This record gives sequence, structure tokens and C-alpha cells, in this order.
Amino acid sequence: MKKWFGVLTLALTLFLVGCGDGNGDNGDDAAEGDAEEIVTVGEDLEDATEINLWTFAGSHAEFFEDAAVRWNEEYPDNPIQFTAETYPFDQMHNNLTLALQSGEGAPDMADIEIARFPNFLQGDIQLEPLNDIFEPEIDNFIEERVDMYSDENGDYYGAPTHLGATMVYYNTEIMDEAGVDIESIETWDDYIEAGQQVTENTDVPMTTIPENWYGIWPFIRQAGSSFFDDDLNLIMDNDENVEILEFVSSMVSEHDIAEVTPGGHYHAEEFFGFMNDGGQASLIAPTFYMNELMNNMEDLSGKLEIRPLPEWPGSDTRSVAMGGTGTTVTNQAEDVDLTKEFLAFAKLSEEGNIELWNQLGFDPPRWDVWESEEIRADNEIYDFFHDDIFDILLDIRDDVVGVHMNQYTPDVLDEIDSNVMFNVIRQESQTPREALEQAAESIRAGMQ
Amino acid sequence: MANQSNAQNNRVMKFLNSKKVVPYILVSPFIVTFIVLTLYPAIQAFIMSFQRILPGQTEFIGLSNYRRVLSPTFYTAFQNTTIYVILTTLILVTVPILLAALLNSKATKYSTFYRASLFIPSLASIIVAGTVFRLIFGETDTALANQVITWFGGEPIQWQYQSWSAMFLMVILSSWRWMGVNVMYYLAALQNVPPELYESADIDGASTVQKFFYVTIPHLKPIITFVTTITIINGFRMFEESYVFWEANSPGNIGLSMVGYMYDQGVQRNDMGFGAAIGVIVLIIIFIVSIIQLKFTGAFKRGDE
Amino acid sequence: MEKQRSFFKKLFINILFVIISFLALLPIISLLVSSFRPSSELMRQGISLDINWAGMNLDNYEFIFTQAPEYWQWYMNSLIITGLTIVLSLFFSSMVGYALAVYDFKGRNVIFLMVIMILMIPFEILMLPLYQLFIDLNLIDTYFGIMLPLIVAPIAVFFFRQYALGLPTELMDAARIDGSTEYGIFFKIMMPLMLPSFAAMAILQGLSSWNNFLWPLLIIRSNDMFTLPVGLASLLTPYGNNYDILISGSVITILPIILLFIAFQKYFVSGLTVGGVKG
Repeated sequence: MKKWFGVLTLALTLFLVGCGDGNGDNGDDAAEGDAEEIVTVGEDLEDATEINLWTFAGSHAEFFEDAAVRWNEEYPDNPIQFTAETYPFDQMHNNLTLALQSGEGAPDMADIEIARFPNFLQGDIQLEPLNDIFEPEIDNFIEERVDMYSDENGDYYGAPTHLGATMVYYNTEIMDEAGVDIESIETWDDYIEAGQQVTENTDVPMTTIPENWYGIWPFIRQAGSSFFDDDLNLIMDNDENVEILEFVSSMVSEHDIAEVTPGGHYHAEEFFGFMNDGGQASLIAPTFYMNELMNNMEDLSGKLEIRPLPEWPGSDTRSVAMGGTGTTVTNQAEDVDLTKEFLAFAKLSEEGNIELWNQLGFDPPRWDVWESEEIRADNEIYDFFHDDIFDILLDIRDDVVGVHMNQYTPDVLDEIDSNVMFNVIRQESQTPREALEQAAESIRAGMQ
Repeated sequence: MANQSNAQNNRVMKFLNSKKVVPYILVSPFIVTFIVLTLYPAIQAFIMSFQRILPGQTEFIGLSNYRRVLSPTFYTAFQNTTIYVILTTLILVTVPILLAALLNSKATKYSTFYRASLFIPSLASIIVAGTVFRLIFGETDTALANQVITWFGGEPIQWQYQSWSAMFLMVILSSWRWMGVNVMYYLAALQNVPPELYESADIDGASTVQKFFYVTIPHLKPIITFVTTITIINGFRMFEESYVFWEANSPGNIGLSMVGYMYDQGVQRNDMGFGAAIGVIVLIIIFIVSIIQLKFTGAFKRGDE
Repeated sequence: MEKQRSFFKKLFINILFVIISFLALLPIISLLVSSFRPSSELMRQGISLDINWAGMNLDNYEFIFTQAPEYWQWYMNSLIITGLTIVLSLFFSSMVGYALAVYDFKGRNVIFLMVIMILMIPFEILMLPLYQLFIDLNLIDTYFGIMLPLIVAPIAVFFFRQYALGLPTELMDAARIDGSTEYGIFFKIMMPLMLPSFAAMAILQGLSSWNNFLWPLLIIRSNDMFTLPVGLASLLTPYGNNYDILISGSVITILPIILLFIAFQKYFVSGLTVGGVKG
């Protein structure tokens, strides 16, 4: 019987520990424990309207918390009590879907990542249109970026976080060793040639190709093609796109200047280590990646030069706006108008855009602030890279395209992530045409 | 008065205590939770499988979700899951019997230590386990698994990118976590084998192997049924073992399971009607396999009768 | 000769088990060792045999003890939920399993089939309707909402049934003659006989609650209600650079259970393995 005593005591202890703290949970414990992590801005303000936000990035949460503090300073008559919750990426989007679907449990505001955005523009849209806060400012934005978060009627639903212009980051140390002058790289042919020089003279590849859609979508958009035509017919397997994928895959198989990205994508820790150690001579990634480079690949400080994409024959597009999170206001928001105003204050205003750069290191989607003093003021980003980042961006401002999305775009991206790139680039078990045709076929089966 | 109410009380008590009523009272919490937490949502899900569900716009679309299910992707998921079920069942039903029998024999010193070390992996949550396994089976040459392989003169393997190694990862993760638990089930049952049986087998001159097959195994039968059922069903429900390695999308769908496909389509992609249809098909498959398996092992009969 | 053979047999078996035990513990040991390494280096290189002793430090732990109050909140949530789940689920599941095993009643096979059915239905199918139901019942973001689906656990019912099948029915008849009620028989006579199965199920139910992932993920709305697996998973995103908490947090998640297990293992293990009636 004695042993039972032990087991029961254990169960009981667990139970009691549980109950004890369960009670404390309502009291001081929670307040103390939370004080540092979950910040509720404006908790002590009277008559403050509660606004909460779901996000998947801790830095976004901090950005909004800071904005809330500034809001309360600026509008003491209309204070807000702001809380941001950070969830795992997938779960945040899934929970948001479920909460919007069932009409209950959604936050006032939510960050939605670009690839997930179309999922939320189906049926009766459960997000609030943001036209009234956008329209006064629309001319100051890079339009291609803002359009990404709109539906087919042209209503805007998401406030952009950055321009996210796809650029090439050249590692000058390696380029010098290979004897390549990066200013001479104007077309993709030049790029391949430079790549061959790099692989001949150094022991690293020119670049690595990620296994997700970052490895193809920017190229497709830059060449002026798309996954869908204007009538929303799926054309991902047309000749033009096949050629583009052939080009990408030729860097790996034919020209031997590229490898598959370690870890499979640019956000993998394996890749951070690889890139940091000078594992590749150049990186094709959007401007928001500067943030990642500074935080995770410190050794590259001072070694990188950012340039627009090399040109395709017959297209003068120099960059493609990629990735990016749109902040939305849900129809379950307690005070829709106030929430919208706060969102405009935080992300659409000039000040907000300047903070995007200063706090998060994101290139603001408003080009009219690019020349402002605050943006040009010396900071660690310029130290890490170089001073003329915004001059380069201003230079190509009209040559940036965005991506166009519809409800089937996530299917396309899914197929690319799980089948196309894997089979063509890593396994080399399918030709680009085979892979794209197979993917298109499987997507068409699901299109009603 | 008092007598009467006593009598009434007695009658109620008697009613509540009759052998006819008692079992129903005992199972009532189960019935309630079954209806609320399983039956109701299951019926809802079944209805959903005939619908196209968008926020505010739900319409019946007949069988078209079911027609979509029979796609190459689902076939891949089915194939992966089936292989996984076969492998995990083979490993997790048989190996623990051997280990338990050995642990139970007098040959093993420190058997408590062995038991504990076998059991400890099950204490780790799938998130922790997944993190560790991903780090051990990382693609770099510096990760443990590849170090061992190169040590023996092999080539480093990109574990998470090939279909055989993907299956290996999932099976090894699952086996690692559940081996100890199943050993415990068997050990518990082994205690109930009357020692006289072994003694008489000894007198008959039976070898260790013979004793194992003619005395041990028959006595373990109910628990083998139990373990097999659980393993098969859990195998068909497999999701997290894949999720911790690749989240929702594995390269080339090498880690895609049926439930994973359902989760991806229904939850991740917000195509709930289609997800529900996949779920119903998965359910039918599990149902058929389990009924066959249970019939085969005679689990519906009561005990030893 | 005979003696020598049996010596080698013993030696062989023991070597075998030492190897098996080592393999079983290896992932946990390597996690433990790795938790002293800088976490980003760990994520980049993987768990490795080349141990750089000089590069080891306590930073990850210092961080979790001083800078991560949310982690301890998750810990508390998990403890509470697991404790309650064990107590409630053992109580209800044993009743059901027992009834299914010892009574002959109409619908018994149907109910047993239901048990198997619950086991078979992938929980993910039921998630959305259940989620909507829980919203209506106001159970979102509550401990009870997280626990409820685990309270009558089919696997425990199944196990208790299998276990109770082996109980001696003669004892019941004798007790009835002595005037015991059916409930008295269950609580006073049979339950003590089933105690070994309770220990086993306490561990398994505790584990499934401690490690439960998908459902809490769906139903928890606020960071201070997170359970450990959900909280740790939230650190796995590439957006946070939170690997410091992830690795040391993982160790602290399993270490206490392992210590508890080792401390109580006499009870645990014998509890699991002591026979029902004999013994």
C-alpha cells in the first residue's frame, strides 16, 4: 500500500500546487509575471478604449506598443489601452481564420502575412476596408505595394510594413577576390558570367536558390510574367514561366554557379551561419532582409553592397516588392473607427513610416519620407551597409513591380514550396516544364 | 411519514443500486462527453464535408469535395501514412514484448534503471523532442547523426529532404517516444502470468524460446490487442511527428500524412469543407482497419470466456 | 558449464540494455549538454559531438531565470492543467472502464464501440465544430476549456476495461452477500485492486495533458494562458530570435519530470508493473 501513498501524494501535490496558484493567478501573481512581457499600454488611463493586436513577430508588437504610447501622448482626450499578443506564425493565421469564420474571438487588429492574405479576402470579407484612411495619402505610397492588400474591387484591407524591394546583396570581399566589378553587372547574363568568375576564382557559389517561392516569384514578376493572367486563368505553366524557371535552375545545374540554400530558405538558422561565414558571393532578397542580416549575420558588417536586380531583356523592371505583412482591422473590432485611426497613425503617417525605418529597419512604403532628415540621419543600418540605400531606391522607384494575388495564389505558392522547387532544384527529378505542368494541373483540379 | 420517506429513499436507493442501473450511472459521464465532444462535432463535420464554407457564405455543393479528395496529393499522404502505420506497428508492438520479457527475467541487473531510461523519452513533449531530433539530424556535417555517419566512412545525409530518410525520422521519433510506454504495458501484464506455468514448462523441458511463445505470448494477448489497436490508430492519426520537422509543408510532400493534409487544407488554407471531406475519408479508413483488426484479435469478447 | 553459459547470457543481455538505455537517453543528454552552448550557434550547426567546453556558459539559463517571466507563467499553467486533468480523468475513466468490464448490460458493446470510435476519430476533424461550441459555452481561453476534451479519455477507459476484465468477480458476489452496495464494491473493493492501473494511467494522462499541443493552441487566446508546448512552439518562429528560451526552456520542461520520475520511480515503475490481483 505504501507505494500508492507515494503516487497519490504526488498527484495530490500537483493538484494542490495547481489550485494554489490557480487562485493566485487572478491576483498579484499574474500582474507581476506579465508586467515585463505582455505590455498593456495605457492600462492606467481612464476611459481608454481597448485595442488588441495579434501578430507573429515580436518586433511588430513592440513597434505598435511604441506607437500606442505616442498616440496617448498626442491624443490625451482619446486614449487607448493597447495590448499586442505574439503567436507562432501558422497558429496566428489559423486562429484568426477560425475566429473570423465563427464571428467571435478575433482581435481588433491583426497582422496578416502576404502569402496568407488572399485567404482572408474570400466570402463576405471579415476585415474592414481601409479606403478612408488610405486615400488621402495614396500618392505618397509606392502603389504596387499597397495594391497587394486590396481585393478585386480595389478596396484596401492591409497597411503595409515595408516596401520590401528585392535587391542583390553583393559580398564585396568575395567579389574582389574573384575580380568582379559589381557595377558591371547590368543584365542577368552579366550576373551569370560574374558567377562563373566567382566559382572559378573562389570556392564559394555565386548565390544559393531557396526552395520556397522566393526562388522563382521575384524572377517571374521581374520578367513581367505572372501566375495568373488578367482574367484569373492559371498560366503558371506557360512558356514564359517555364523559361524563367529554366533560367533559375540553370544557375544550379548548367552554369554551376548556385547551390540549394542550406536549410532550404533564407530564414533558416543553417543559412544564417552559412551566409555569415561568407558562404555565397551574392544574395537575392528583399530590402527587409537587411534587418535579418544585421541581427543574425553580424560578421557581414561593412562587406555588403546593395544593388537593384540585373535586368531581363525587354523589361526595365529593376526590383520586385516581395513578402510583407499587412496590418488589418477586423469587423469584430470594438471601435472600428478609432482602431483605423490608430492604425493610420502607426503605419500610414509620415511619422509612422519614419519609425518603421528607425525601429525595425524596414524601407518605408511611403517614398515621400525617403529624403527626410530623420531617414537620412546616421544610424547603424547605414554603418552596416552603405549610406546611399535610399538614393538607390529613389532611382528605381518607378521600376518596382508588386505581386498580384487572388484566392488561388496560396495554392500556387504551396505547390511551389512543396513540389516545384524541390523536384526541379534540389532533386533535379523533373524538368521545369514537367514540374510546373504538374503543379498547375493539381491546382486547376481545385479551382471551381 | 418518516418511515414512508425512508421507504421511498430506500426504493430510490435500491433502484440506483440495482445491477441493471449501476452500469448506466457509471458510464453516464462518458455518454455525455461522447455526445457533446464527439458525436455532435462529428455530425457537424460530416455536414461540412458537403459544403463550401466561406465566411458568411456557406452553400451545399454535393459531393464535389469528395471528388477532389481523390487526388495525387491525397494518394501520397495515404501512402506515407500507411507505410508509417506498418512500420510503427511492427516496431512498437513486437520490440517492447522482447524488451519487457528480458527486463522481467532475472538476467537483468539494474532493470529499474533500464526501465526508467526507456520510459524517460515519453516525458518529453513532441515540441521538445522534435527540436532535439531536428538538431541531431540536421543537414550540416556538424550535426550528430552526420558526424556518426562520416565516422563510419559514409556520406552526410540530408535527412529532411529525402523520402526514405523523412520516413525514418518520423518512425524513429515515434518509436523513441513510445517504446518505453509500451514496455511498461507489457511489463504490467507479465506480472500476471502465474509463475507455476513457467515452472511446469521447465519440468516439461521447454526452452526459453518455447516458454516465450507458449506461455508468455498467450498471456499477453489482451494487452497485445490493446497496444496494437492504439498504435495503429495513432499511426493513422499521425500529424505532429511530421509537423515538428516540416510544419505544414514538407518538400515534395515527403512528410505529408492524411491528417496533415486535412489540417493544411481545412485549417491552414481555410477550405473547411474540403478538409472535413478528407477527415471523413480518413475516418472511414481507420474504421475499417480497426474493425478488421479487432475482429481478428477477438477484442469484442469479454475476457477469457 | 551451465553456469558459465548463463553468465554470458546475463552479460550479453546487460550489455544490450546498456546500449539501448544509452540510445534512449542520448537525445536528452545531448539537449542538456547543448543548452550550455550559445543557442544561435546550436541552431546553425545542430547538436554536435565536437564539444567546445570553453564556449559553454550559463547564459541561456540566466536569461530564462531573469528575463523570461512569461516562461514561468506557462509552466504554472501546465502544472495546474495537468494536475487537474489527472485527477478528473482517472476518476471518470475508471468508472466507465470498470462498468464495461464487470457488468453485463444492454448496450455495453455499443458503448465500447463508442470508446474505440473516439480513439479513431482524428481530433483535427472535430476541431472546428468543437471550437465553435466552446465559444458558445464561453470556454475559450479557460483552463477548463483546455482540459475538457481530455477528461474522459478513451485510451484510459480502454485500459481500465482491459485491466478490470482480470478482476475476480467472486469478490463482488461475496461483497454483495455481505450487503455492500454496487458503488461500495467499486470504491472500497475493486478500486483498490485496480490501483496499479491508476498509477499507470496517472502517468499517461499526465503526459498527454503536459504535452497536449494542438487543442490548447486553438483555444488559448492570451500569452499568459499558454501552456509549455504552445509557449515553446511560439519561440520556434524565425521572427523572434528567442532560441535562448527555447533550448534552456526545453531542458527545464523535462528536467523536473525526470527528477520526479527518478525520485518516485520505485512507485511509478512498480505501480505500473505490479499485478492486479496477485502480488
